[in-house]
Amino acid sequence: MSTATRAAVASSSSHPRISAHTRRQWTYGFLFLLPWLVGFFAFQLLPILFTFFLSFTDYTGAAEFKLGNFNFVGLDNYRKLFVEPDALPSMGVTLKFALIGIPLGLVVPLFLAVLVNSRRLMASNLFRTLFYLPTVIPVVAGAIIFNGVMNAQSGWLNLLLQAIGIENPPRWFSDPLWAGFALNLLAIWGVGNAMVILLAGLQSVPTELYEAATVDGAGPITKFFYITIPMISPVIFYNVTIGVIVAFQYFVPALLIGSYNGNPQGALLFFPTVFYREGFVYSQMGYASVLAMVIFLVTMAATGLLFFFGQRLVYYASGETS
Amino acid sequence: MRKLMLILSTLVIASMILTACGGQPAATQPPATEAPAQATEAPAEATEPPAEATEAPAGEPTAVPSPTNPPPVTTGGEGCDPAATQITWYIGLGAGSNADVIPAEKAWVENYNKSQKDACILLNIVYNDGGGGNSYNALRALIAGGNAPDIVGPVGKAGRASFQGAWADVTPLAEAAGFDLSAYDPALLEFTKDEGVLVGIPFALFPSFIFYNKKLFDEAQLPYPPHTVGEQYDGKPWNLETFQDLAMKLTVDANGNDATSPDFDPANITQFGFFEQWTDARGIGSLFGGGIPYDEATGKAVIPDTYVQAWKWYYDGVWTHHFMPNADYQNSDQFNKGNVFPSGNLAMAHVHTWYTCCFDNSAMSWDIAVMPEINGQITAKLHGDTFAILEDSKNKDIAFKVLSDMVVDPELAVIYGGMPAVVADRPDFFAAKSEAAAPNEIDWSVAEEMLKYPDLPNHEAWLPNLAEANSLLGAFRTTMDQTPDLNLDEAIAQLQSDLQAAYDAAPTP
Repeated sequence: MSTATRAAVASSSSHPRISAHTRRQWTYGFLFLLPWLVGFFAFQLLPILFTFFLSFTDYTGAAEFKLGNFNFVGLDNYRKLFVEPDALPSMGVTLKFALIGIPLGLVVPLFLAVLVNSRRLMASNLFRTLFYLPTVIPVVAGAIIFNGVMNAQSGWLNLLLQAIGIENPPRWFSDPLWAGFALNLLAIWGVGNAMVILLAGLQSVPTELYEAATVDGAGPITKFFYITIPMISPVIFYNVTIGVIVAFQYFVPALLIGSYNGNPQGALLFFPTVFYREGFVYSQMGYASVLAMVIFLVTMAATGLLFFFGQRLVYYASGETS
Repeated sequence: MRKLMLILSTLVIASMILTACGGQPAATQPPATEAPAQATEAPAEATEPPAEATEAPAGEPTAVPSPTNPPPVTTGGEGCDPAATQITWYIGLGAGSNADVIPAEKAWVENYNKSQKDACILLNIVYNDGGGGNSYNALRALIAGGNAPDIVGPVGKAGRASFQGAWADVTPLAEAAGFDLSAYDPALLEFTKDEGVLVGIPFALFPSFIFYNKKLFDEAQLPYPPHTVGEQYDGKPWNLETFQDLAMKLTVDANGNDATSPDFDPANITQFGFFEQWTDARGIGSLFGGGIPYDEATGKAVIPDTYVQAWKWYYDGVWTHHFMPNADYQNSDQFNKGNVFPSGNLAMAHVHTWYTCCFDNSAMSWDIAVMPEINGQITAKLHGDTFAILEDSKNKDIAFKVLSDMVVDPELAVIYGGMPAVVADRPDFFAAKSEAAAPNEIDWSVAEEMLKYPDLPNHEAWLPNLAEANSLLGAFRTTMDQTPDLNLDEAIAQLQSDLQAAYDAAPTP
């Protein structure tokens, strides 16, 4: 081997040579990612960092945002989180809503998906469409409709309950005992999207598994719990994750129906509602930024826990691991 | 091939940039815990006036929301002198953002710009959804970005409270311009102050009185309520007892029994005698006399006795005597989802002049009556609007010149439906109102008469940490409306405690 060749070999082993083709691929890849990266930095990362910065100030939004129009207040806004009377109870309201809403948001669409997937159901396409339709109605319109449907005096739900013999039906959005559950019922109305996703999962389960189970003498319930559920567990996990994120950000219907005080008597005062009230009604942008950070961190923590524990229960047919 | 790939890549990247900047990807849809297609607005219950009213009643945001708001309307200085100073006029904290008044506003601006050479008004109208959302947030963004408009209005106390500390003191501006403030009633000037600072010049006044449905009185064969102070009702003094008795006679259940009857069924009421339309707990409290829940000398939250009496009377009226609707009735279809008077099932409502915005004045048979005497006095709570200049305005002197022209312009008073502060302009105002109410012949002398009995201190007067205090008072009224077995004394004590906490947390000036 000549000296030049030896030098070339030595050089290539210490500095692996990237081919022009590879470099071109990386360049194209980066170029394709660039719009998303720009959007992420400009519209997500920078606002998050700015919110974190604002959380240490007393900026109110009543003057131009520039130095001199606000003061740095250290951790005062964070201390306020534990002193202000509504923040922690509102987190309780949000958690209670989530604890009821997430299981409901899983069981009901799963039931409907199994129903629609059944070969015995006639006109399943029609049912699929009907169950999905509420999903396309704007959430504002839906909340207004339900406010009327659940009105204690003229709402048809109570008229129906009275017709079947329930003399004093709940006063739904006027009673702090029932108001939160009434919102859970409103949320179930939008079940169609989850149903469609679960339906897709159900239809992807290999039929051979069911055939084999039938041969082995398994009944429908056994097949459902030992074949269907494990096979669609990734879809269930996805729905639960999205459900957790949405539950911690639940805002628009609560504000529409309970206003920014969470009427009746704070029963509908969700944590995002407190955030909105502090920032855009009371103009306490600094404290509102703290609340925004709390929503962010709590949601991240809940999602992280979900991934940590949930992945152990998820079966990936392709053999993927978390 | 490489050239084709490059072109294709550029096109794809451009489309991705446009997509990225256009909003959130639709890839993930939230499941059953929330219907997707989130509204971006922060709207409200259906118990507050829509944006047509000049004053968003203090407390809870309750307008009927719309899934979409109209886009902002701006003008570019048509008719301006090239050397004129640009003055931005922002409309959206009160009335003026509804589609039907915008052409009149634009015409006024164009005429004004052509009539003088100092100022060039640029309009910026952002739809007021009544919930303190859309237009309020837009103004916040303008201020934060260093693009604060010069003039904002029409706006009342409640609207200005959302931007506490943002308004300029017009007293030195008036002095510099030689504007004579002494021509105004000192009580009106005092009314136009926020935290002791004069933030505008009295423009439009909205006294309150009783709106009554003549048809329901005719059906019950009862005489109409009095139109002059001191006039008796059916041989009896027009006081609280007579008023309550009348309201109970006009409250009827599904079987035709009125609320004075032993067979009256409060679970099936089809008609109510009276409603405090679209106000908060302070507004209700002012029925029994003016007052504020704050002692300036000590900094303490103190609920006036008049408020306590008024709230107890109100609560009994809703839950014991049943002549006022509770929250369930208010929000029902039968009672027009919160805008109760035009449902045709309410005999009397206590509300301000601006309420003519919110029902078909010519379709109902109605008139107005004076307030009853309570505890030896008559109190008719008052609202008032002005135009205000933002402290961040870079042209305050010219802005004041425009403002001083606006507040005396009778055309603007008619556009916004406010009784002019200038007495000489009132006949034209009432003529326009009468035309809108035809064939009803409304006795507008009642409105002028009630102007003599304002609540002092005003129910919208400044409180420390005003936005939070208003929120607590709004929530208190809602609690009274929603809770049948409320221990009112405890609730009032809790309110006082909560108000004290809010006052203590008020930012130091």
